[in-house]
Amino acid sequence: MNALLARHRGLVALSTREVHRVMKLWTQTVIAPILSSFLFIVVFGLSLGDRIRAIDGVDYEVFIVPGLIVMAMIQAAYANNSATVFQARFDRYINDVLAAPMKSWEVNLALSLGGIVRALLIGVGLVVLALAVVDVPIEQPLVLGAALALALTLFAQFGVIAGIYAQSWDHSAFVQNIVILPLTFLGGVFYSVELLPSPWEEVSHVNPIFYLVSAVRYGFLGTSEVDPLLALAVVAALTAGCIAWTSRLFSSGRRLKP
Amino acid sequence: MSDVAHALEITGLTKTYDDGFTALEDFDLTVPAGSFFGLLGPNGAGKTTLIGSVCNLVRPTAGDIRVFGVPHSDHEARRQVGLSEQDVNLDRFLSVEETLVYHGGYFGMARRDARRRAAEMMDVFDLRGKAGVRAPMLSGGMRRRLLLARALMHEPRLVMLDEPTAGVDFELRLELWQYIRRLHEQGTTIVLTTHYLEEAEELCEEIALIKAGRLLARDTADGLRATYGADTLADVYVRAMGLGREGGARVAATMAPRDDA
Repeated sequence: MNALLARHRGLVALSTREVHRVMKLWTQTVIAPILSSFLFIVVFGLSLGDRIRAIDGVDYEVFIVPGLIVMAMIQAAYANNSATVFQARFDRYINDVLAAPMKSWEVNLALSLGGIVRALLIGVGLVVLALAVVDVPIEQPLVLGAALALALTLFAQFGVIAGIYAQSWDHSAFVQNIVILPLTFLGGVFYSVELLPSPWEEVSHVNPIFYLVSAVRYGFLGTSEVDPLLALAVVAALTAGCIAWTSRLFSSGRRLKP
Repeated sequence: MSDVAHALEITGLTKTYDDGFTALEDFDLTVPAGSFFGLLGPNGAGKTTLIGSVCNLVRPTAGDIRVFGVPHSDHEARRQVGLSEQDVNLDRFLSVEETLVYHGGYFGMARRDARRRAAEMMDVFDLRGKAGVRAPMLSGGMRRRLLLARALMHEPRLVMLDEPTAGVDFELRLELWQYIRRLHEQGTTIVLTTHYLEEAEELCEEIALIKAGRLLARDTADGLRATYGADTLADVYVRAMGLGREGGARVAATMAPRDDA
């Protein structure tokens, strides 16, 4: 174990730095997203839940919890990594890392880990808070674990890509506000897409976040609008695509070095 | 096999940026191990591109770069090189001590060794009292010292200093000269770029003149004066760069000690 760590000291140092950054700003990076998502659960679930009929036999306040948890987690993974990479490029302290004797996959992995740790802290915090007000089961823990691992890797890598391509803070925020947020809301976080009229139900099936929400919901509730294997396969394919993209960027140095 | 007596061996280095600008063209340079080598040239001459290429921060279009006989992108070569960049590029989230310790980690140092070395560096550069202060809260002079300390953290054998005294007051410049001289006396090879001709003359054993991505001449300061039939390094610079009377006056002004640099 020590020999393994000694071979990857750069990876350990950069990963630690990324987590250190998250923890230094913990009120902003962890507490704020937990509170805002918990408010969604309270307002939409507990206040309106009684007026909305059960979906697939699940009470509405329980139905929305998995989607809200995964929404908070993927947004955190994306926002963290796009910000940390863009800031490092903008201030040029990324040069300290790019000049170092580290393998390209080590730099990629270390930069991704900050967002993943942040998302996991938010996820755990939200589950604990949600359990205090609604009875959310975990019916399929293996599926849930796989879905979250894929989701976090996908959005951590997507954040790294955005951080590498962004030319300003606006670019990074644009992707978050104009792409991820609407797709998440339209991906069935608050409703079952089966309730939508045609063609909106069919259109929802083109939204990748629909598969992500479905897989996570199946992990929690044991019920899903699509085959959970199909949902996991779609998310896995997207994740593989993002990993291939970032690997290419880091190994070639394109966009990172002139 | 390359001659390992050379700290740096550059052959046929060309860098053309995406916008079509060629910063270096078929550039050759060797820097002997243990030497103090200066690079002089106007803005846009290719000095920073050269340093960036050696430090794997710029993707060369063509050519070969070896550090102590090893291709510059190899991890072994990267470990041998320390870089202090022209711009202050410190991690805004880290304190002085963390900046040094994390840098040591990136370059493969064990955490305990990195902490010990960071303590040494903070003593050498008079940063001990600011160990817990984040980089953005430091004065300009302290940031410069921290940049230099960071470049030396992993004990490189070749140190690239890209205008290390740009924008610092005269007192700090003298202080930095002392640090750099001491480093050279310990056997470290130093490559220095500067716009201050008196700095190059004061510190460098050998000076290369670069213009538009090409090497015009390299020699000792005395050798360059003899070659160009000039009395001062400023005259050498004016003649080598083909500057007119106005340009010559500007160059001469850089020779006088200044406290407003």
